[in-house]
Amino acid sequence: MESIIRVDGLAKHFSVRKHYKGRFAPLKNFFTREASTVKAVDDLNFEINPGELVGYLGPNGAGKSTTLKMLTGLLVPSHGEVRVSGFNPWKERKAYVRHIGAVFGQRTTLWWDLPVVESLELLKYVYHIPEARFRENLSHFIDLLELSPFLGTPVRALSLGQRMRADLCAALLHDPRLLFLDEPTIGLDVVAKERIRDFIKYLNQERKTTVILTTHDLADVQKLCQRIMIIDQGKLLFDGGLERLQERFGGKRQLIVDFAEHYPDVHVAQAQLKDYQNRRAIYEFDRRELSASELIGQVSSQFQIQDLTVREPDIEATIRNIYEKQLLKVPET
Amino acid sequence: MGLYLKLVGVQIRSQMRYRSQFVLDTLALLLVTGLEYASLALVFERFKSIQGWSLAEVAFLYGLVEMAFGLTDMIFGGFDAPRFGRFIRQGSFDQMMLRPIGITLQVLGSDFNLKRFGKMAVGVVIFSYALSHLSITWTVAKLLYFPLVVLGLVLFFGGLFIIGATIIFWTVESTEVMNIFTYGGSFMMSYPMNIYETWLRNLFTFVVPAIFLNYYPALFFLGKPDPFNFPAFAPFLAPLAGLAVFLISLGFWRFGLKHYQSTGS
Ligand SMILES: Nc1ncnc2c1ncn2[C@@H]1O[C@H](COP(=O)(O)OP(=O)(O)O)[C@@H](O)[C@H]1O
Ligand SMILES: [Mg+2]
Repeated sequence: MESIIRVDGLAKHFSVRKHYKGRFAPLKNFFTREASTVKAVDDLNFEINPGELVGYLGPNGAGKSTTLKMLTGLLVPSHGEVRVSGFNPWKERKAYVRHIGAVFGQRTTLWWDLPVVESLELLKYVYHIPEARFRENLSHFIDLLELSPFLGTPVRALSLGQRMRADLCAALLHDPRLLFLDEPTIGLDVVAKERIRDFIKYLNQERKTTVILTTHDLADVQKLCQRIMIIDQGKLLFDGGLERLQERFGGKRQLIVDFAEHYPDVHVAQAQLKDYQNRRAIYEFDRRELSASELIGQVSSQFQIQDLTVREPDIEATIRNIYEKQLLKVPET
Repeated sequence: MGLYLKLVGVQIRSQMRYRSQFVLDTLALLLVTGLEYASLALVFERFKSIQGWSLAEVAFLYGLVEMAFGLTDMIFGGFDAPRFGRFIRQGSFDQMMLRPIGITLQVLGSDFNLKRFGKMAVGVVIFSYALSHLSITWTVAKLLYFPLVVLGLVLFFGGLFIIGATIIFWTVESTEVMNIFTYGGSFMMSYPMNIYETWLRNLFTFVVPAIFLNYYPALFFLGKPDPFNFPAFAPFLAPLAGLAVFLISLGFWRFGLKHYQSTGS
């Protein structure tokens, strides 16, 4: 399949002027031009195929927003090549942005003083959206995002969650094939988050929109992303499916069994018995050593089972583990 | 163009929602400018004229510049430096870059403020006062040239606005200083240039060609002699000088945009 995004050796280095502190600091700051270089993004290489839903993760300051800014043409890279839908984002800005949608965190693309619906109408002209298509999309998104209660409200009076929903609608009226979302759920309550996740899922599954999103909320990742990229200090540390991430770095899986009767000893060979009371046993096992079906086979060959569940390790814990223990070490430069 | 009018249209509509606010703002502005002018009139009361310019003649110049500046302020409000600085800091400028239309057009259409209509109205009142107290013989040439002078002034002030906004790309913080350019410039240009010290006048002649936009055209309309012995075509440079400043400012603006795209701050 032809990739929709191709990134080769992408880098963005910012030159940050040194700021002195203490006595004479203002003078020093004024007269010195000493600068240090921040490698916000450093030699990224990846491809994304049409229809993928990619979670772009990393701790604060990892370079996520900077990457998204380069992919959307807001920033010119220091090095490297970006090709999105056949465009060079920063050289062909006007033609390019017609094909993408982007929502950057807590910033709004809507006109501050205008009622939501008037902003949306204005976008019809900005993107030259045919009237019929515009009406169709608008009414559809109004339903899905439940915008009706605040369509007539000026944007400045909206809650954060309402604004994010309105902004998502605004970013999609022109049927972009690609959607960039920088922290779409930050600062929202549980209900609002869920609504936005459902919507993103719908876009990806029904409309085949390719989505790249950054987030701190791992529930977003767990519910949405087929593919995960982890970046730290500007370098790509992991690129693959959730499964593989769990395999490599995840904690143990759990098998929870309810026995039909009480057995005095329910230990089995390869799994560790974590807990056993009221005829319920919790086994922990490592997916690299044992598959769930093997374990279930083992247990059921010795005991009568009434019910069972396999519990995957918590992704949140996995990723925290990766960040904290620096399991994916950035090579020293 | 159609889109520009759309952008401006919605702003006017949203401003009309706060009609009482609009009326109050306009009244306040009229009052302030009125007082400013009244104090000037008091000075004339005692001296009758300033360096060969009567009150009505100064009013002609003052009204002309105020009208043009009010018009500029209305059209180029999006480039008003403090406002534009806020725009960048809040990320609204990035949002403009995400839309498939020209950035300059969007900034131009981002702040069409009716409030500033008041400023222009003040200019019109003062200018009318001047006309009623002067006996200018309006030849065809003068009638034809007058709109060109206003156009030149609007381009000139527009250029200053754009330069002020562009500097923000480098100094995102200190934005109020840029007002010296625009408001300060228009203030100085409201008075005849012969009242200023030579160095200042030279600055306004050779560095910033302001003198060809206000002073010389005024000499022409009022039929006054040129104390500085410039060539006879000096009064007719206004549209050219305005256009030159405007084009230079656009070049600088494009350069600033490039800088912004590479630093993102
Ligand atoms: N415009 C800028 N100028 C200088 N440094 C910047 C700029 N933007 C980001 N940085 C720096 O680059 C690094 C990556 O920032 P960012 O991409 O915003 O991280 P993230 O979105 O992953 O939290 C940080 O160290 C940040 O301070
Ligand atoms: Mg960020």
